[in-house]
Amino acid sequence: MSDALLAVDGISKSFRGLRAVARASLDVPRGGIVSLIGPNGAGKTTCFNMVAGVFRPDEGSITFDGRRIDGMRPDQICHAGIGRTFQIVKPFRELTALENVVVGALRAEPSVRAAQRKAEAVLDQLGMLERRHHPATQLTLPERKRLEVARALATEPKLLLLDEVMAGLRPTETDQMVAVFRELNQRRGITILLIEHVMRAVMALSQQVVVLHYGQVIASGAPEQVVRDPAVLECYLGEEADL
Amino acid sequence: MISRMLDGVPRRARALLGLLLAVLLIAPLVVNPYILSILILVLYFAYTGQAWNVMMGFAGQLSLGHSLYVGVGAYAAAAIYTHYGIGPWAGIWASIAISVLCGLFIGFLAFRFGISGVYFALLTIAFAEFTRVGFDHFPWVNGSGGLFLPVEEYASNDPLNLRGAPVMFYYFLLAITVLAFLFCRWLLTGRIGYYWLAIREEPEAAQTLGINVFRYKMLAVAISAGMTALGGVFYAFYYNNLFPEQIFSMSRSIELILGPIIGGIGSLFGPILGAFVLTVLAEGLSEIMVTLGYDIPGFKQVFYGICLLLVIVYLPHGIWPPLRKRLGLESKP
Repeated sequence: MSDALLAVDGISKSFRGLRAVARASLDVPRGGIVSLIGPNGAGKTTCFNMVAGVFRPDEGSITFDGRRIDGMRPDQICHAGIGRTFQIVKPFRELTALENVVVGALRAEPSVRAAQRKAEAVLDQLGMLERRHHPATQLTLPERKRLEVARALATEPKLLLLDEVMAGLRPTETDQMVAVFRELNQRRGITILLIEHVMRAVMALSQQVVVLHYGQVIASGAPEQVVRDPAVLECYLGEEADL
Repeated sequence: MISRMLDGVPRRARALLGLLLAVLLIAPLVVNPYILSILILVLYFAYTGQAWNVMMGFAGQLSLGHSLYVGVGAYAAAAIYTHYGIGPWAGIWASIAISVLCGLFIGFLAFRFGISGVYFALLTIAFAEFTRVGFDHFPWVNGSGGLFLPVEEYASNDPLNLRGAPVMFYYFLLAITVLAFLFCRWLLTGRIGYYWLAIREEPEAAQTLGINVFRYKMLAVAISAGMTALGGVFYAFYYNNLFPEQIFSMSRSIELILGPIIGGIGSLFGPILGAFVLTVLAEGLSEIMVTLGYDIPGFKQVFYGICLLLVIVYLPHGIWPPLRKRLGLESKP
């Protein structure tokens, strides 16, 4: 337990009586890649939002890097070392791709110039350098998803929360993204927690998979093991068993 | 710092700005007093428009009550001068301080409790309105009877007390307009500028990237309010009379924001261009109407309305962005 970078312990969240997340617990080991999967409405994004500080959990605790972070504001959580992307992308529309990423880079960089250099490096890493001067509105959806990742990465997180960044990508694009995340994980030691529906990416990336159903964790373990779990097959994969 | 401000500004843009400044510097030597009075109005609106633009154009917070900051700034310096004989250069600091406090108070109420968009705008109107009512019954500044500054014939300009000929006010207003332009450029190219634009575009994403949204919104309100108050001080000493019904009125707030809206919200030159176009056209047209024998009350307001309609329909980003493109003055990456 002590080697977990992120330890989520029994968190719950209700919206007007609807229990979106019920006593969910999960650990993300330092340097690991963990996937959070589950059918639509299972509470995955709500879990994310509690970790990222958008919602305060009704109960339970969230510990990051040895420090309680539940109830902190999103900007404080960013400074603590967690970067996140949004499932529904939220680019700064009137700004260029580079300016979008500069905003993130300013989290850790002392000056605008340094942040600009950093932002260019991050965009290059994600294969978007030649698009840097385009306004965010002119980018395609896959590019905007990558921009979300670039912006979060530029804040120099220890933990990256990725909310369905592969959705809508073609298989080859998915493979590229998988390669990028694997490299970030292996070379830079960034820990990753991702919500994902694209099983191709989940199976390729994760060391561990956590399955959420009606707000509860119903299974967790190695990917191969989880996808054979009868409870998982019934509730989730049964609906779309296209592995 | 200077190099950061010049980054990406094409040489032609710098040359044109220099030329414009030169023209404005020599203008009082060649124009008649009537044109000079219009140029003073232009500069006043360019300056206050720039100040409003910090809040709306940069940080995305719509204020429809900026007459509050003009009025409080004007009254503070003028009252200190008439009551204690303390000159405006000292009074300015009181004006700015009080105005900033008003802004911070409104900002705190709104941002702390998540009031944004239209509701925030309504709040700004409400505060301007009840400040107006309050000043109507404020004996220290003579309530609704108005506050008058002593006016005499002056042998020469007295810049230390801001007493003198319009040309002196012209140069002071020109100076603060230029300074405001440079200051805004400096803000916009720095960390604060990036943060403000991020907050304007997508506050939730901005916060996720580590930006303390509350603090930076408060900063925008404070800077905007303080700058506007300075405009109010020059207003007071130029016109020599202040009436709550006039200076705090809703229509003054609207007048102040027309320039940046028509020029281009969020751009640095937009407020200046907007002030020029609107003031010169409105004054020119009403002058022509009067010469032709049609003295129609409210003509200017109708004209403003038509301008606003046309710009919103045909140039939603204002006149300046498309004009800048046409002139080849767009900043290069």
